[in-house]
Amino acid sequence: MSSREGSEGWAVSATGLEKSYGRRRVLRGVDLRVPPSSMVAVVGENGAGKSTLLRILAGTLGADAGVVRVAGSIGYCPQVPVLNDNLTVDQHLAYFAAAYRLRSSDRARQLVADLAFGTYRGRVAGDLSGGTRQKLNLTLALMHDPSVLLLDEPYQGFDWETYLRFWDLVDDLRNRGTAIVVISHLVFEESRFDALYDLVDGSASRRMPAKVTSS
Amino acid sequence: MIRDAGTPRHGQFPTALRFSLRNQTRNRMAAILLVAFVPTWYLLMMAMVPHTPLSFRLFATGALQRVDGRELTYITAGLNALSLIVGFAIFAAVRRTLAFDRRLVSAGYQQRALIGAKSVAAALVASAVAIYAALVLLVFWRPEPVGWLAIVAGFVVVATTYGAFGLLLGVLVKDDLEGFFLIIMVGLFDTFLQNPVGNPLANKPVLRYFPSFGPTQFAVGGAFGHQGLWGYLLFGLAWAAGFAAAGLIIFRARTRVSTVRGEGEASIAREPRDRTRSA
Repeated sequence: MSSREGSEGWAVSATGLEKSYGRRRVLRGVDLRVPPSSMVAVVGENGAGKSTLLRILAGTLGADAGVVRVAGSIGYCPQVPVLNDNLTVDQHLAYFAAAYRLRSSDRARQLVADLAFGTYRGRVAGDLSGGTRQKLNLTLALMHDPSVLLLDEPYQGFDWETYLRFWDLVDDLRNRGTAIVVISHLVFEESRFDALYDLVDGSASRRMPAKVTSS
Repeated sequence: MIRDAGTPRHGQFPTALRFSLRNQTRNRMAAILLVAFVPTWYLLMMAMVPHTPLSFRLFATGALQRVDGRELTYITAGLNALSLIVGFAIFAAVRRTLAFDRRLVSAGYQQRALIGAKSVAAALVASAVAIYAALVLLVFWRPEPVGWLAIVAGFVVVATTYGAFGLLLGVLVKDDLEGFFLIIMVGLFDTFLQNPVGNPLANKPVLRYFPSFGPTQFAVGGAFGHQGLWGYLLFGLAWAAGFAAAGLIIFRARTRVSTVRGEGEASIAREPRDRTRSA
């Protein structure tokens, strides 16, 4: 694997991130570091600023202060699927293959097969069920094998089988070197993660391992 | 890692153009308006407006042209229908894909490829709809071929202008209703006021500053006076260019990604706006 570390070996390194919406200070100096080949969860209540943090890491939102360093390519999966209702699944894959400048869509097709929604490839996104839309949403974030994967409540709407397939996919990516950040208001299986951060009062604190095993 | 960075299978511009057109042509409401509204609109004008001679001022010569009231109304009715349909279709398409376009840009799509594709797709759709409206017109009225071509040109320019207006509103307004209301009100006032049948103020100099003024002058001058008032057609295109430029500048700002993308696996440092604390 070529060097994918950013500054000082981190795949993602965020320091002192601050963000306010009007007078409401959502992030008050968030520090987060994620090494390659690891998966961290950022957990917080509704409105704690999780999505804001992820959007800043992804670059779709500017912070008021702080520095973000990301090593390599980013895959960002927003909480609410961002799709074009008039385009089919295959057309979405072709559109994002052009965005990522991919020469082949083999990986995307493999993901569609792994997530078991190949039968809908000719359907427009507007006609897909909530769960299938979420699968397509995830595929668009994964199809270029990103170095850093940012997932915002990724398994909402998945049935049990898809939930398990999702973890297989993500574990496989981690084993191949990808750094993964998952944000969620609830984490059921804490043992799946290398580290957990609680986002409370605008700052992220790492949950101690003892606490991880006890809960 | 199987990252196929390198020559893409399809270029970004052709891909974006293909899907922008696909997105436009799947607007069922616009298709219904096109098939039902355009002929119905002409039919209504035929039923309501008599063949009374009217005076229409051609501003190029300053002369008042004697024209058939119904035939003139067909032209302004066509312009009116186009302003609504094309404005609505482009507005809806741009507005509904804004978040998706932002996602494409954050995935690495070049903004200029998306902007170029959107502009070309909007111009193609506007021209196709304009030609369709001019063809339907032939069922009701057969002007001379040269006159009909002038009407086609006027229709294309008005459709392009309102397509650009729809694009501007699509990136600007927060709500569907706001956009529809603005398109209907602006389109109605603009095209209605040009016709002396419905408006005693027609022929007044103030109308010169309206978007449909130039194309109306060109279409009427060509259809009734056999004059090619090219300057007026260009005046209409200037409105289209102005709307499009404003819309595309806002589109560019609203789809901007704050990441500086490096090639390959290079480290990316982003320094968010305003106060920056170094790491």
